[in-house]
Amino acid sequence: MRRFLFFSLLLILFLSCSRPDSIQIGGSTTVLPIITMAVEEYQIIYPDQAILVNSGGSGVAINQVGAGQLAIGMISRDLTLEEAERHPEVNFTKHVIGRDAVLPIVSAEIYNAGITSLSFEEMRKIFSGEIKNWSQLNGTDSEILVIDKERARGTRHVFMEAVMGNSEASAPAAGLVLGANNELQLAITQSRSAFSMLSFAWQNDDVKGLGIRTEEGDIIEPTEENIRDGRYPILRDIMLLTNGNPDEKAAQFIEFLLSEAGQEIVEKAGYVRIIQ
Amino acid sequence: MFASFSNIGKNTVLVSTIISTAVILIVFIVIGIQGLSALPGAGWSLFSSEWNPAMSQYGILSMIYGTASVTVVALLIAVPIGIFSAVLISEILPARYRIPVKSALEILAGIPSIIYGLIGVAVLSVFIGNLFELSTGRTLLAGGVILAIMILPIIITLTEDALHNVPSHYREAASGMGLYRHEVILDTILPIAKPDIIGGVLLGLGRAMGETMAMMLVIGSIDRIPDPIYNILVPGQTITSKLGREITESAFGSLHFNSMIFMGLLLMIAVFLVTIAAQRFIKPGGRLYE
Repeated sequence: MRRFLFFSLLLILFLSCSRPDSIQIGGSTTVLPIITMAVEEYQIIYPDQAILVNSGGSGVAINQVGAGQLAIGMISRDLTLEEAERHPEVNFTKHVIGRDAVLPIVSAEIYNAGITSLSFEEMRKIFSGEIKNWSQLNGTDSEILVIDKERARGTRHVFMEAVMGNSEASAPAAGLVLGANNELQLAITQSRSAFSMLSFAWQNDDVKGLGIRTEEGDIIEPTEENIRDGRYPILRDIMLLTNGNPDEKAAQFIEFLLSEAGQEIVEKAGYVRIIQ
Repeated sequence: MFASFSNIGKNTVLVSTIISTAVILIVFIVIGIQGLSALPGAGWSLFSSEWNPAMSQYGILSMIYGTASVTVVALLIAVPIGIFSAVLISEILPARYRIPVKSALEILAGIPSIIYGLIGVAVLSVFIGNLFELSTGRTLLAGGVILAIMILPIIITLTEDALHNVPSHYREAASGMGLYRHEVILDTILPIAKPDIIGGVLLGLGRAMGETMAMMLVIGSIDRIPDPIYNILVPGQTITSKLGREITESAFGSLHFNSMIFMGLLLMIAVFLVTIAAQRFIKPGGRLYE
C-alpha cells in the first residue's frame, strides 16, 4: 500500500512537471514589461491558460523560436540575414504590437550639467574613443564611461544601425558591457559620467534620454509625440515572433495585445501604441 | 530468497556507480568533441585577444587572463585571512567556542552565489569605485574580492581541520621545550599541517575558477587585457562570465558556440587538475605525524 502511494505520488510529480498546454514566451527585456503586465491581465480573463515568460534578449528569442523551444519570441529588432539563414525551415513571422525609440542616455549629473542633446557624429566619436571627456562637449570635466550592450541585444542593433550605419559595429571605447535593460539602468544610476543607449520606456530621474541634433542644427527631443509621428531618428517596432502562423492559444494571446486592453498595457509600460 | 536480495543490492550499487561515472564521462566527451571542433575552424587565432563574432574573431586570451587574475587576487586575500582565522579557532580560542565559531563561518558557504553577486553590484563595486575614484567599480579587483569571500569558508574549514588533526603531544612537546606559543604554532603545528592546508587552498582555487553568477554581475564584461597587465582596477571578463552572458546568443554548433565550449573545456581541465592535486595533498596516511 505504502509503495503504491509512493509510486502514484512519483507519477503525479512527473505529470505535473510538463505543462504541454502552457505558452512559452521569452526574449527581449525591452518587450518584457509589456508581456508581464499583459500576462497578469490575460490570466484574469483566461485563468486556465498557463503562460511562462523568460528573458534573455532578442538574439535569444530568435535562436529559441528557430529551435522550437519558444512559442512566442519577444524581439525589439529585425532579424539579421544570417539569423534567418540559420533556420531555413522556420518561417519567422513578426507581429508588431507597439513602437519604441532607442535613446542615447547619460547619467543625470551629465544631463544637469548641460548636455541635453548630441549629434550622431559626436556619438560616433564617443564610441571610437576620440571624445574621452565630457569637457570636450562643454560638459563637466569627467571621463566618459561608455556602457555597451551585449552584441545580440535588440537595443544595440537598432542604435548602432542608426548611429554607426552597421548594426554589429564595435565600440572600442566601451568601459562596460552589460545585458538586460534593468542591469544597464542600474549601472547608469551608479555612475556619474555614463553614456549608453536605452529604450524610451526605461528613463527615470537618474537615467536621462538625450535629444538628437541634426546636421542642420535642429534638436529633436525624445518626446512621445515625436516618436508617434516618426520624427525621432532612432525608432523601432516592438514585436512578437512566431514560427509561421501561431497556434490557437498563442494567436489568442497576440490578439489580446492588439485589442484596446492590450494597447493600453503597451502605453502603461511606457511605449507608444500601434493602434489608435 | 536472501541470495536474490543480495544480488538486488549488489546491482543497485553497481548501477548507481555506473550512472555517476557515466555522467562525468559524457560531460567530458561532449564538451571535448564540441570544444575541439573549434580548432579546425578558428585555429591558432583562438589564442589571440580579439573576440568579435561579427568578424569571426574568436580569441580567448582576455578571458583566460581574467579568470587567472581574479583567481590570484582571491587567493592573495583569502589564503592569509583563512589560515589566520583557522589558527585562532583551532589554537587560541578556548575549545568550547570552536564548534560554534566554525559553524557560523561555514554558513558563509551556504549563501547562494547570486546573493554575493547582488552585494557585489550594490555595495562592493560602488565602494571600490569611490575608493579609487574610478568611473566604474565593476573591476577585476571587485571580482577577486567577491571570490575571496566565497572561498574563505572552504579554506578556513579545511585548514582548521588540518590544524585540529595535529596530535596534541606535538604541542605539549614543543611547549615543554620552552617554545613560546607563537613558535609552537608557526614552527611546529603549521609545518606539520602544511600538506592538508595546501590541499584546502587548492580546493578553494578550483571553486574560485568555476564561479559564474557573481562574476557575471561584478566583472564588467569587457573582453580586454588591461594595460599595464597588472592593472586590476579595470573591468575584465572571465571564462565563466563570458559563457554565462553569451552562450544563449550563439547558435548551437556554430564556430561561435564551439569556441565558447572550447573555453569551457580549458576551464574544466584546469579545475580537474587542481582537484586531483588537492586530493593528492589531502591523502590520509601520508602525514608526517601518523
